Amino acid sequence: MTIVAKVWIEEDCITCDACADICPEVFDITDESSFIIADVREDGAFNRNETKSPLKGDLGAQLGEIIIEAAEACPVEVIQYELADSGQSEVTEEEAPVAEVEIAAAPVSASAPVVDGALAGVMEGERELVIMFGSQTGNAEGLAAVTAKKAADYGLQAKVVDMDGYDLKNLAQVKRLLLITSTWGEGEMPDNAEALWQSALSASGMNFANTHFSVCAIGDSSYDEFCKAGTDWDEKLSAFGGQRIHDIQLCDVDYEPPYLLWVNEALSRIACVDESGTFQVELVDSMKEYASGSADDVADDGDFAPGQIQQSDMDITFKIFRYDPATASTGWDEFDFSIPGHATLQDALLAIKGQIDGSLTFRTSYVTGTNPLTGIKANGRIVMADTVRVVDLCSHAMQLKLEPMPGHEVIKDLMVSYDEWQQHRLKSKPWMQSEPRIGDRLPNGMPMGTIPAAEATALHAVGAVMSYQLVQGMSDCYASDSKYRGPGLNLLEWARSLDPRVGSKQYKTIMESLQTHGGVWDEADLSSLSRHGRSGQIAADSLYDARSRLLAEFKFIGRSGRLAKNYARSVKASGNVNETTLYRSVLGPFGLASNIMNGVSLRMLLGFTRNGGPIMRGFQGMLVPPAGIGKIPNMFNARIKNHHEVVAIFNEVDTRF
Amino acid sequence: MAKYSYYPGNAARQSCLEVEDTIQPMASSLGIQLIEMPGYSSDGGDVIKQSNKFLQLVLNARNFAIAEENGHDIITACASAHGNMSDALQRLQSDANLLAEVNTTLEKTTGKNFSGEIQTHHLLHVLVEDIGLDTIRSKVTNPLDMKVAGYYGSMMQREGFCANDDPFNPSYFEQLIEALGGTPIDYDSKTASVGAPSLLTLDKPVMQMTAKVLSQAKSAGAQLLVSACTLSHANLDSYQNKARKHTGKDTNLPVIHLSELVAFALGYHVDRFAQLRTRALVIGG
Repeated sequence: MTIVAKVWIEEDCITCDACADICPEVFDITDESSFIIADVREDGAFNRNETKSPLKGDLGAQLGEIIIEAAEACPVEVIQYELADSGQSEVTEEEAPVAEVEIAAAPVSASAPVVDGALAGVMEGERELVIMFGSQTGNAEGLAAVTAKKAADYGLQAKVVDMDGYDLKNLAQVKRLLLITSTWGEGEMPDNAEALWQSALSASGMNFANTHFSVCAIGDSSYDEFCKAGTDWDEKLSAFGGQRIHDIQLCDVDYEPPYLLWVNEALSRIACVDESGTFQVELVDSMKEYASGSADDVADDGDFAPGQIQQSDMDITFKIFRYDPATASTGWDEFDFSIPGHATLQDALLAIKGQIDGSLTFRTSYVTGTNPLTGIKANGRIVMADTVRVVDLCSHAMQLKLEPMPGHEVIKDLMVSYDEWQQHRLKSKPWMQSEPRIGDRLPNGMPMGTIPAAEATALHAVGAVMSYQLVQGMSDCYASDSKYRGPGLNLLEWARSLDPRVGSKQYKTIMESLQTHGGVWDEADLSSLSRHGRSGQIAADSLYDARSRLLAEFKFIGRSGRLAKNYARSVKASGNVNETTLYRSVLGPFGLASNIMNGVSLRMLLGFTRNGGPIMRGFQGMLVPPAGIGKIPNMFNARIKNHHEVVAIFNEVDTRF
Repeated sequence: MAKYSYYPGNAARQSCLEVEDTIQPMASSLGIQLIEMPGYSSDGGDVIKQSNKFLQLVLNARNFAIAEENGHDIITACASAHGNMSDALQRLQSDANLLAEVNTTLEKTTGKNFSGEIQTHHLLHVLVEDIGLDTIRSKVTNPLDMKVAGYYGSMMQREGFCANDDPFNPSYFEQLIEALGGTPIDYDSKTASVGAPSLLTLDKPVMQMTAKVLSQAKSAGAQLLVSACTLSHANLDSYQNKARKHTGKDTNLPVIHLSELVAFALGYHVDRFAQLRTRALVIGG
């Protein structure tokens, strides 16, 4: 039986009622927070129970399991409890002083390589490694997680630490530190690193003499301040007296190859820091040998390795787009090739390159699932080559047609250039430009932005696509309009605008950017996005939301605004859409004149390909009065049966029409 | 006899009456009973949800409730309508809270309730999967005897929206054309969007997208293009001259609706089909 001794509510409750629905005997929702009911508490008070008053009598036993169920159902994890006897409280990552993930060290067991002599000495005792990340888009965080897994091969116990909320003083106690950070905007820290960096700038008298460290910096060489956040930390840690155990590694957009070089060397060296904090440089080669030999054993000895579903070999005809930049010639190659169905598309391409045609060019990923630049068009789908399985692409036919990502310049074969994407991204300045807010300041007085947990969750959901570059390639329209920024960049801007930490000036700039040429109205058909799986659906939904916001803020201006307003009015007025009035009210006199000049109206009038239908059917499109003047005219089409129901729906849901 | 609640969409009874002319006899021949949905309204297209997603969901839920009162799933000949309805249906059927919220509004304003039980189907999928190609083949009296390209569009080419056909590399249209005595023509952009939702708001890009589909189909040898979307038909037909002027591509190609194609092959409107065939074979567009 589970007995709960105490239960209390932390700050930031969103009053969602979930806990009271599950356990009304203990939880009650007020306007500001969930409270612990007075009747169940020894102190008889009615509040969040910050004083951790125990539960009365045997209520902890009677309601223990249901209290825990309520705590687990809490979306923002503010319900805390303490079990009887154990004295151990259940504290979620969010409430912990520092969000960290323990990665088990490689157990030194009978099957692990033999460790003896001096290497055995360095492997004894405390083996903690702190891997700290500063991350804006998740790339650095992903590399930190990968690093933690690798650290187990070196007999290290890794802790992945988010810089957000970390106390600089604690850093001075760390013996082994690997720091991975991206740079945001023009040489700025990522959002989650800003506070710690400000405290480092204002700190004095820090002594990091016992800290061995190395820094991996991710950046973009198209910026003037390439990898500045990483170099700043590298210099600052050194200035505090830290021991640089391996030189900083600067990584460009294609960050995986340099990261791999860095991580193997940095781990080999930092693993040779013994319990006393002494770096035993003479053991580095032995450590490398140990790590390379232990990898398989680690997986055998309990380190989690996900299961893989094996698929039988499939005989597939690959039809691959080829482009030779030297001769500017394009064409298609066909290969018949047999490959296991569970192989990734990248595996298949590597096999073809290795066994059939070494000149085939495409982007690869060193760490599976982390490189959005491996995007490719496979049988019409926009996918990441290093992630998608061949069997999932060939469910209907044993053919695989591979093309480069649409909407990007092709460099060679399946490899595209993302330079234009980067240039557009630079112009849009998607990094955060916050404003100080009353009451939101760091201990050193610097202003900071804040974001409630629920809003942060919603914000992440907006941009939870596999990659913005892939979203860019989903549009059927992007390649047809040189001024259109594309759905990926617009989604990036929209997500930024939703961040409550964004300043009002930046918010206004983004709204204007999304509303004007190049923005969200230039996407001709969002269904071309939404059909691309979950990422496409999320992107399309978010861009519909963006359009709703723009229509409200810009009062239905422009052709898109007029279409939205008059379409809805048309449906409200009759229950159906009246194309005649839409044409007139949206296009205006100049648009209609253009249609007349281009033969559109004539085809409508004559019903040229309408196969002998009555000619008057097309005449409706030519009727006066002139376009865009006054209210929408009466409908030509009759009102539907029970039309009042549609009117009632409009009046109930949206009175703007 | 297969019974469906018939949803004409936004065009079949407005600007594309030729759909209405042909779908009724076609359905009758193939044993499909099209049951009227009394008081159905527009599904909102791709437009109303741009200003208010919830409003569009309630409008669709009202139509679904009418179909439920009929006791039969919905059928439509418009890919756009099918895509919009499927999207709304998927959201309502996968989120009980949302369905309850929509029903609260629906009951308050109309007294109706949608239980979430019905499905929506596109005519193409019903013809291939429910009626069957062999049955259709046996009813053909006026074989197409032409090279015909099918246009699916993007609206219904989504996982879960296009029955058992492949969303990105579909073949139902080609199978149907073959069963009707025509030669199916395959081309790359058969599921690409022609930008129908933005026909009135974006000029050059939409004309480029339209020209791409028409010129690719024609280059592949098509003498006739058949649209599964009554909305996209306006781009492909009325706007093909404009698309040619904007791009310089050869867009001259007769474009008809799916229901017309099947009705012609089943022997209806012989004069119209003769006129179409003459134009396709002699004039080319």
